[in-house]
Amino acid sequence: MNGELEPTAEAIQRRQFIKATAMAAATAVAGGTNFTLPVLADEPAAGVQWEKAPCRFCGTGCHVQVGVQEGKVVAVAGDRNAEVNKGLLCVKGYHVGSALYGKDRLTRPLLRDGDRYREISWEEAIKTIADRIEAAPERFAFYGSGQWTIPEGYAAQKFMKGGLSNNHIDPNARLCMASAVTGFLATYGVDEPAGCYDDLDECDVLIMWGNNPAEMHPVLFSRVIDRRSRGEKVTLIDIGTRRTRTTDACQHYLEMKGHGDLAIANGIAHLLIKNGTYDRRFVESFCNFKASDDENPNLHGKAISFDDYRKSLEPYTPEHVEELSGVPADQIRMLGDLFGNPKLKITSLWCMGMNQHTRGTAVNSLVHGVHLLSGHFGTPGNAPTSLTGQPSACGTVREVGTLAHALPGGRVVANDEHRHQSEEFWNVPTGRINAIPGYHTVKMWESFCTPTDKGGDIGTIWVQVTNPGQTLPNLNKLFNPKGDSKAGLEDKFLIVSDVYPTATTRLADLILPSAMWVEKNGVVGNSERRTQQWFKMVDPPGDARDDCWQTIAVAHELFNRGMAGMKDRDGQFLFDVKDKNARSVPVWDWEHYYDVNVDEQLFEEYRQFSRLKHKDLAPYSEYVKARGLRWPVVEIDGQWQETHFRFSEGFDPYVEPGKEIQFYHSSTHDDRAQIWFHPWIAPAEVPDDDYPFMLCTGRVLEHWHSGSMTRRIPELSRAMPGGYLEIHAADAAAHDLRNGDKVKIESRRGSLVIPVWINGRGQPPRGTVFIPFFDETLLVNDLTLDAVDPFSKQPDYKKSAVRIRKV
Amino acid sequence: MIASVVATLEEDGGHVQHVADEFADEPSVEIGDVGHDARRVPITIDSPAPNALEEVTRRLQDCRGVAFVDVVFVHFDDESENNAAAHAGKMNHS
Repeated sequence: MNGELEPTAEAIQRRQFIKATAMAAATAVAGGTNFTLPVLADEPAAGVQWEKAPCRFCGTGCHVQVGVQEGKVVAVAGDRNAEVNKGLLCVKGYHVGSALYGKDRLTRPLLRDGDRYREISWEEAIKTIADRIEAAPERFAFYGSGQWTIPEGYAAQKFMKGGLSNNHIDPNARLCMASAVTGFLATYGVDEPAGCYDDLDECDVLIMWGNNPAEMHPVLFSRVIDRRSRGEKVTLIDIGTRRTRTTDACQHYLEMKGHGDLAIANGIAHLLIKNGTYDRRFVESFCNFKASDDENPNLHGKAISFDDYRKSLEPYTPEHVEELSGVPADQIRMLGDLFGNPKLKITSLWCMGMNQHTRGTAVNSLVHGVHLLSGHFGTPGNAPTSLTGQPSACGTVREVGTLAHALPGGRVVANDEHRHQSEEFWNVPTGRINAIPGYHTVKMWESFCTPTDKGGDIGTIWVQVTNPGQTLPNLNKLFNPKGDSKAGLEDKFLIVSDVYPTATTRLADLILPSAMWVEKNGVVGNSERRTQQWFKMVDPPGDARDDCWQTIAVAHELFNRGMAGMKDRDGQFLFDVKDKNARSVPVWDWEHYYDVNVDEQLFEEYRQFSRLKHKDLAPYSEYVKARGLRWPVVEIDGQWQETHFRFSEGFDPYVEPGKEIQFYHSSTHDDRAQIWFHPWIAPAEVPDDDYPFMLCTGRVLEHWHSGSMTRRIPELSRAMPGGYLEIHAADAAAHDLRNGDKVKIESRRGSLVIPVWINGRGQPPRGTVFIPFFDETLLVNDLTLDAVDPFSKQPDYKKSAVRIRKV
Repeated sequence: MIASVVATLEEDGGHVQHVADEFADEPSVEIGDVGHDARRVPITIDSPAPNALEEVTRRLQDCRGVAFVDVVFVHFDDESENNAAAHAGKMNHS
């Protein structure tokens, strides 16, 4: 045994028990029988306590059972009781528990001292932040994410807008799904999908628009593949700019050029009208037509007639669409025929491909329009559905409204009535909320990286639960200057709360160690309007503490200093949390933070906003019992009931009897959705003689987003150790490149030396290269463009012109 | 580490044997009982090798007739390494 200890009989028995449990769970899932893991906790050999939680990673919202033993997470299993994943997990689920235990977890507050950091107390850290805010509250900004839980985001939102009268709060979700938001708003007058994952079980045709769910939302894709394995006929169509694992499972692959999606959607609409196969009754009953108002650009455009719409589409013949998109005309006709067939149920899915797009609002609106024009809407299996990449991009960013222009519950700061409502709910003085929207993400970081005397009016940014030093576009403009001693940014101050060192903490002035996932309570909202709750199960390491506590502690420090904004109308602290006897609990003191359930109190306060736009949430206690509920959740006969399909009679409780379909938040106030025309427009940057390749960036199966958690997991790092450049074999040959050779890739904004991978995971066409963004040692965002969509302000990470040469 | 997965097979049948053949000589991989329609196969993986789970999953995914592989259960006991990623050396926190 080379000195190793022989396993004891008890250890062997325990291992056999665990293995039997593993097999029982898999057999139950495979056979569709019941199997409940918590029962196992009663087994003497187990010693493991099981509790539910949504997975920490993507926006799918899989529920897991988390096994805890002696204060440590030791096991994870798919939750059989969860409708989202029905007991299954993706490969990242293998390791979601291990993500807690990387050896370089941040455990103490660290303050920059020259080129090094020194440990400081939490008291000093909180005072340092309060000093920065007190000195110049208007120059402070809060940068969060779709990984903020709902209570965390709500606390940050209230602190900024209801406390500091400062709207400079924005999330990283601006970078991943802001165009989906503006697409929904422009079309339906209200954000978030009408359909849900049930559509995947019902559709006859699933179209993925620039979407790779086989790797990015594998459990959802598996759900469709499972239908096919059972003999159901499901046609899968991949419209993309490079072949992926999703392509391999699809019957049709439509390879398009960047921005080809704009032309394809118009081509489908053209054919529906030309062939007379659009749904005349649906359109005449439930839709209006809109086009951009070029003289006064705004999200709601100008009304046009059906005839105007038809004429605008005339140029988009299949042949012209082929010229614009690169997709053969017969494949455009195939799509036109599918949408023109009312017997088929069609679901569209999209994510970053359509959102990270300088015409993101337009293409989102056009795809909604194709579904509305063809009547493929409002019944199970007929839905245009955007997916999100983060666990609470919907629940926190879109619903709590942690965006520079927004308030909770779908309200906006620029609207007098909306501000007044929020001031009433928050019990803060009238006029407390600033009417001017704050800076969106790109503008916030541009201002931060601009010297104060040159107009850079953001002086301090506090980052929570995200990694902008890796994920912002054009890092050499929007982030890296912070580390340049000659950039004139000495007065700028970067605060980062995180769980591990990242590309962002590298330039931080103050680093705060945070609790993650089941080290704290949480509530999140997934891609299908499902709100999910969990309880803290283990302690965070060292002095790491909840992000929500950090925000409240700073607010209370400012309250103690007499800052008026931290008081409500009655002079009480903005976050006055009560115990069951209605006595205030000093939750700003960490020793007392878990004396009460702060999450529950913040959630119940926030819940009143949710009813303002028919996104009703149930009481917190209902989520404790459930594996999530899809809003609107309404109480009927004493039962809290979720909603599967919005705007559709028989499903949505807010649709009036006899209406059939009712878009009750219509921007035209007539219960109708808007079908938009937007022209095809070329990408903001296209290849030319100097930069002849188009660079697309994206994610990989093994690593979640910037890899700050998954790269701590040796198994995942071994499976996908580092960044690479995918290139077509013919382009590689033309540059004398073989697998593993290094190239220098340059854009107008930066350069990178990186190994090539030919015929690898994905296969780009000639003239296109792809680099994933998970590797912080190979920052592809040094190269990307920071041009944004005019309405969503979301950048395009998919289309930057580059050149390569072998090194 | 001990884990279990479910392999979903293509509809044309007869693929369970391909999966069994692929792992016939590997005691760390156990194929469970399949249901009457032999469409989904439960499999456990019990190996101290740090990359066994990913390796088996990849081989399953590449196996003839396998349409998809989903994870069901993971017990990551003390055998699992939890070293920091190699890139952590970029930081200078002291």
